[in-house]
Amino acid sequence: MKKLAMLSTLLLAGAALAVAPKDTLVVQEASDIPTLDPGVTYDTASGAIVENIYETLVTYKGASLRDLEPLLATKLPTVTNGGKTYTFDLRKNVKFHTGNTMTCRDAEYSFERNLVTNSAESGNWFISESLLGTQANANDDKSITWAKIDKAVECNNAGQLVFTLPQVDPAFLAKLAYTGQSIVDSKHAISIGEWKGTEADWKNWVGKDLTDSNLNKQPSGTGAYRLVRRDANATLLQAFDGYWGKKPAIKNVVIQKVPEIAARQQAFLRGDADIIEGGGRSVDTEQIKGKPGVRWIDNLPNTSATAIFMNQKIQDPKLLGSGKLDGKGIPANFFSDVNVRRAFSYAFNYAQYIQDVQQGQGKQRTMLLPDSFPGYDPKVKTYKFDRKQAEAYFKRAWGGNVWKNGFTLTANYRAGSVGAQTMMEILKRNVEALNPKFKINIQPKQWSEMLADSKSGKEAMISIGWAPDYADPDNFMYTFYASDGFYSPRSNFKDASLDKWLKQARQTVNVAQRNRLYSLVGNRAYEQAYYMLVPAPVNYTFVRDNLQGVSAANYNPLISFSYTGTFWKELSKK
Amino acid sequence: MLNFIVRRLIQVPLVMLALSLLIVGLTQLLTPEQRAAGYIRSDQQAARLEAIIEERGLRDPFIVQYGKWLGSTLQGDLGFSRASGQDVVQTIRERLPNTVELTLLTALPILLLGIWLGTLSALNKDRLIDQILRVLTIIGYSLPTFVLGIVLLAVFYGYLGWLPGAGQVSILNQFALGDLKRYTGLLSLDAVLNGRWDIAWDVLQHMILPAATLTVVSVTTFVKVMRNSMLEALTSDYVRTARAKGLAERVVNNKHARRNALLSIVTLGGFLIINLLGGSLITEFIFGYPGVGLWMVDAGLRLDIPAVLGFALLSALIVVLVSTAVDILYGVVDPRVRFD
Repeated sequence: MKKLAMLSTLLLAGAALAVAPKDTLVVQEASDIPTLDPGVTYDTASGAIVENIYETLVTYKGASLRDLEPLLATKLPTVTNGGKTYTFDLRKNVKFHTGNTMTCRDAEYSFERNLVTNSAESGNWFISESLLGTQANANDDKSITWAKIDKAVECNNAGQLVFTLPQVDPAFLAKLAYTGQSIVDSKHAISIGEWKGTEADWKNWVGKDLTDSNLNKQPSGTGAYRLVRRDANATLLQAFDGYWGKKPAIKNVVIQKVPEIAARQQAFLRGDADIIEGGGRSVDTEQIKGKPGVRWIDNLPNTSATAIFMNQKIQDPKLLGSGKLDGKGIPANFFSDVNVRRAFSYAFNYAQYIQDVQQGQGKQRTMLLPDSFPGYDPKVKTYKFDRKQAEAYFKRAWGGNVWKNGFTLTANYRAGSVGAQTMMEILKRNVEALNPKFKINIQPKQWSEMLADSKSGKEAMISIGWAPDYADPDNFMYTFYASDGFYSPRSNFKDASLDKWLKQARQTVNVAQRNRLYSLVGNRAYEQAYYMLVPAPVNYTFVRDNLQGVSAANYNPLISFSYTGTFWKELSKK
Repeated sequence: MLNFIVRRLIQVPLVMLALSLLIVGLTQLLTPEQRAAGYIRSDQQAARLEAIIEERGLRDPFIVQYGKWLGSTLQGDLGFSRASGQDVVQTIRERLPNTVELTLLTALPILLLGIWLGTLSALNKDRLIDQILRVLTIIGYSLPTFVLGIVLLAVFYGYLGWLPGAGQVSILNQFALGDLKRYTGLLSLDAVLNGRWDIAWDVLQHMILPAATLTVVSVTTFVKVMRNSMLEALTSDYVRTARAKGLAERVVNNKHARRNALLSIVTLGGFLIINLLGGSLITEFIFGYPGVGLWMVDAGLRLDIPAVLGFALLSALIVVLVSTAVDILYGVVDPRVRFD
């Protein structure tokens, strides 16, 4: 018994040390951190670290997605040449973690490196689109030359950074706030074997995947935190003593990988972890919300947009049944009749979806654009669940043949996604209740297959979402609504008015004019019912209650560290 | 004996070659899109699917893809594992010692407890102690690892706070690890060699719950097998002869019956070591223990093909080496088994 008591004391002493110290932020998450090289950072797990090690020229002002403020620049750029030249003054006496001083050459190197490599895994396609006029790299687009890359971003004699765009791009500034466009330490990068920064070896680096680059292993940025060590278990960072800005209150940050949610929950509730990756709203509400020491912050903005697609040119005969309007199938262009699309839009029970899938925490949007984004028009009308309207439109569709003969539609949903399955079940139940001759078969499908099939127009009706790369409406609006937008092969509609407005919006820097154009797009899209808009979930987060600096007021949804929506330097512990 | 060992070792590269052909071949049953999914980690990257397929040559003929893999493997490059965020070889080098450490801490209690309790059960056949042990064995055998691991974690970490939670060391020691000089790769041992007893103790504490989970789940099989083998041995002719010769009960049981009963334990022990060294997937996952098992769970979920191939080769190597060791042990335990 004595021995047991001694053992317990020893164990207790060990366990007592585990509580997260006051100067240390402890985060436990299931996801791993694929890379620390900004040149290929294109996921939130990597971005959450990279945005604290490195810094961009500009960043979002507090919680705003509309206002940008300088970070490594001293002020917002001077825009000349009809909106095609951006000139930045850079901060002086900024040190990298290696001790090197940041110069304009580092900024030039960073952007040129992104343009040269532009690998498929990276988000550099959108900066390439602005600076070179193409999303492709030099392997895929032979018109890209070293001279073009060199000219796109240069340092002038005054030490200013000058971007020269081939055409106006109102989203350009917002693109620069993306963490992938951070300024890297060029001297250090070259010294550890990265691209030399000259024409001599640029061809060897085109399309190169930088995920496992030397810079990923030995990052050096100007950010408030520097990497100390990474191993299979944890990533350790420490506040950078030479940081040019205000000294952060949190000295150490530990990101632990704990795949099992029960283990994370225990650590969080005991105070061993300040922040953990949760298990979704229903799990977190049940297991975390209201427990001692927990701070729950709800009603946070959500920046993803999801739609149910209605493909107007279905390419897979297997989904068409008889291929005719005889009750046993549908024609490939079934959704090309606006009455069909409107009928489906009225048949979806949005409120029920919010209740069943989003536990009552969802919001119906007017456009496929987050409501916190510039360009969002809350006045655009939305469809509500209305059986009578749905019935009326089905009766009008295809000259009355849809109502008379019925149809059999096959729709796939992402296998394993309870939300997508419930969404389709709600729609199926409501549509089939209108007319006994209406039949919708829903079936699960692997995500990778859906990705490929939807791209070649082989899906009839699926739900897909989009998350932003940067806070510009074009990133959503063009993606969903343009006939050459990324999602076009999945919906297969071409609307000349939408194309015209979206292109105009790309070519103007006048904010009011752009907003008007996006309102036009929103109204027309409602009118034509091109998509069923899936209600957006309301975001939430939870942290230990001694963690300061986290609130709805300063939560920015475009910060990759989505647990707080802030940079770590803004946090402290009581 | 030497011939036997050399023959076994020569088999290793052949087994690995066949295995790699099989696995790379099996991956070809997946579409290029499915294989490319392993390189995608965000919705935005999914938008670049076609470019990723092109860049990685995922539409190339099988022989080209296998040739590329074999070429780099022969140069010691097993590729980059996206599940660990580093090279496969580096990942194995970093994580295998952690798994070895857990194996060392787990295997011995399992074997000793299994042999002892199995023997005890057999020698007390149908008595109370045998009944209790049989019930406990059934309970332990029926407990899913996942359930047991979470219960132990919830009770000893969450509720009582006696033992630490997931991971390998506590937060305070995380930063100290960077200063440790690594000699063996086994963290607790290296900590001792560095004079950091506090870290060694911390590492051991973190291994108690995973080791306990593995012990409870695995020991039951050993108890059952040992009991059956022992019962068989106790009723055999040579034990009867030994008793007839007037040998003491203790000598008969230990030297004659148990020694022979151990043969099946040697076989089973081989499988145990193979399983533990190959990574105890579920246990390492629950306790966030950074061994090869945790890496493999991630790799499997993400279709991380270089990792799966690397792990398969590692497993093949472990199987061949441990099987060879088991065969040698047969000779030690049973003098009738000889290889020369």
